[in-house]
Amino acid sequence: MNIIVLIMIFCFAGAVFAVDVQKELRKASTIEKVIRNGKLRVGISTFVPWAMQSKTGEWIGFEIDMAKKLAQDMGVKVEFIPTKWEGLIPSLLTGKFDLIIAGMMGTPQRALKINFTAPYDFSEMNMVVNKKVAAGFKTVADFNKAGVTVLARNGTTAVPATKRVLPKAKLLLFSENGPMVQELLNGKAHAIVSSSPEPAQLAIKFSDTLFFLDESLGKEPISMGVRKGDPDTLAYLNNWIVVVKNQGFIQEKVNYWWKSMKWRSLIE
Amino acid sequence: MVKKKYHIKFSDILIFILVIATISYCIYRINVGLNYKWAWHKIPQFLFRYDAESGKWVSNILMYGLYNTLRLSVWGILLAGVFGTIMGICRSSKILFFRLISGAYVESMRNLPPLIIIYIIYFFIGDQVMPGLGLDSFIEARSETTQNFISFCFAKPEYLTAFFSALMTMAIFEGAYITEIVRAGIQSIRRGQWEASYALGLSWWQQMRHIILPQAYQRILPPLAGQFISLIKDSSIVSVISIQELTFQGTELMTSTFLTMEIWITVTVLYLMLTLPCSLVVQRIEIYFAKSKG
Repeated sequence: MNIIVLIMIFCFAGAVFAVDVQKELRKASTIEKVIRNGKLRVGISTFVPWAMQSKTGEWIGFEIDMAKKLAQDMGVKVEFIPTKWEGLIPSLLTGKFDLIIAGMMGTPQRALKINFTAPYDFSEMNMVVNKKVAAGFKTVADFNKAGVTVLARNGTTAVPATKRVLPKAKLLLFSENGPMVQELLNGKAHAIVSSSPEPAQLAIKFSDTLFFLDESLGKEPISMGVRKGDPDTLAYLNNWIVVVKNQGFIQEKVNYWWKSMKWRSLIE
Repeated sequence: MVKKKYHIKFSDILIFILVIATISYCIYRINVGLNYKWAWHKIPQFLFRYDAESGKWVSNILMYGLYNTLRLSVWGILLAGVFGTIMGICRSSKILFFRLISGAYVESMRNLPPLIIIYIIYFFIGDQVMPGLGLDSFIEARSETTQNFISFCFAKPEYLTAFFSALMTMAIFEGAYITEIVRAGIQSIRRGQWEASYALGLSWWQQMRHIILPQAYQRILPPLAGQFISLIKDSSIVSVISIQELTFQGTELMTSTFLTMEIWITVTVLYLMLTLPCSLVVQRIEIYFAKSKG
């Protein structure tokens, strides 16, 4: 008799415990915290035209619009935490913000550290080339030889893409875009490898020095990053991405930020 | 005092011409060799812009950076001064325990690159300590006036945690150097001063406060002021943890506008505007002390 009672107590305790775990899990999820605090903190990294400061010091860009729309749909305020690219994942892990929306691809290495949503967009890896230094270079393959210098931003997926496609070229890494572009304009390198639409837009801006090589080095799915061990947030974001994609919101933003240059007047 | 008249010598003219020639050559190289289009007219709007809504001139990106650098420097100097004084006294203490603590502090801070210290404090220590203090919820519970006051003195509520991490890092780091300066100051005071004040019946603390420290500070003011100037300069390091100070704002702006040279030059001038006046003050102090001694 006593044994049966004991077993029953154990069973109930187990069931209660399971319910508790579920509750705890839900309470601890980022999405719950965001709703409770009434604000969504988004980690961004300046990258034209993904995220940048306008003339008036406002944050603007493709990713900014995404984050604003996400916050609006959740009914909370949005806060942008500008972070250096290399610091994005460590900062997310240590809770400096709730999620990364920074044109980041969920590479297998990165996905070991944080979780990625389904891609909400794709970006091409392209090259913008110095006309004088790389005179006569027609295809991406032309750059794959010794003596060719290629530039990329440190920590971006342009680095592995360049190493994969152009193993023979010399790769120089920069942590800032400004000096990197200047290096190319100065003729100290042949080309910059970067995510679209930056190369094409650079070629338009500096049309007398640079040209755009219309050949892809690879295609990259762009995802949001969240902390591991948080299935609720991941499920929420994945669902949100499907919804806004089908509303045509993402396409509209792609057209504005990537295909047009109307926003140029906002930043200078 | 009679001022000596200075005669311009041939070598002075030669050096002057050489300097001018070097500068001109650099400008020439930048214009010809660098393929750089100057666009200085775009810079002023990043300092101040006309806000059409309120009809006023307001500060913009670069000036915000300057203000943040100023905030970091002012608080950094105060905190580092406090750390340095406490540790400096410990360092010259008779008790081994205090000497060991302050010695370990100074040696670990001085022998590590500031960049590494900043990363360690920001990502590890800052994360364990800051949320425990409940700073965020404390700020949010305050009235709007208090919040505005805090924004004015430190940083906007959303950047406050990062700001304090950066501030603590700088204070701890620069404090180590100030510790050594304070220690040197205390130890430079002759034994006789200690003995005389002891003979007068002053306690250890009274000796320190009324006799030793005032004299020590007088002696160490020039190196101390020099250290404060270097703190202002070092504040640019915290741009790596995304504190929106002058260097960070400059690099952000470069990323979006590609006005690389103009922005670096503007940022340079802004830093000089902060540090040069401090330098002049240091010179004055040195002259003052030299006179009062002589």
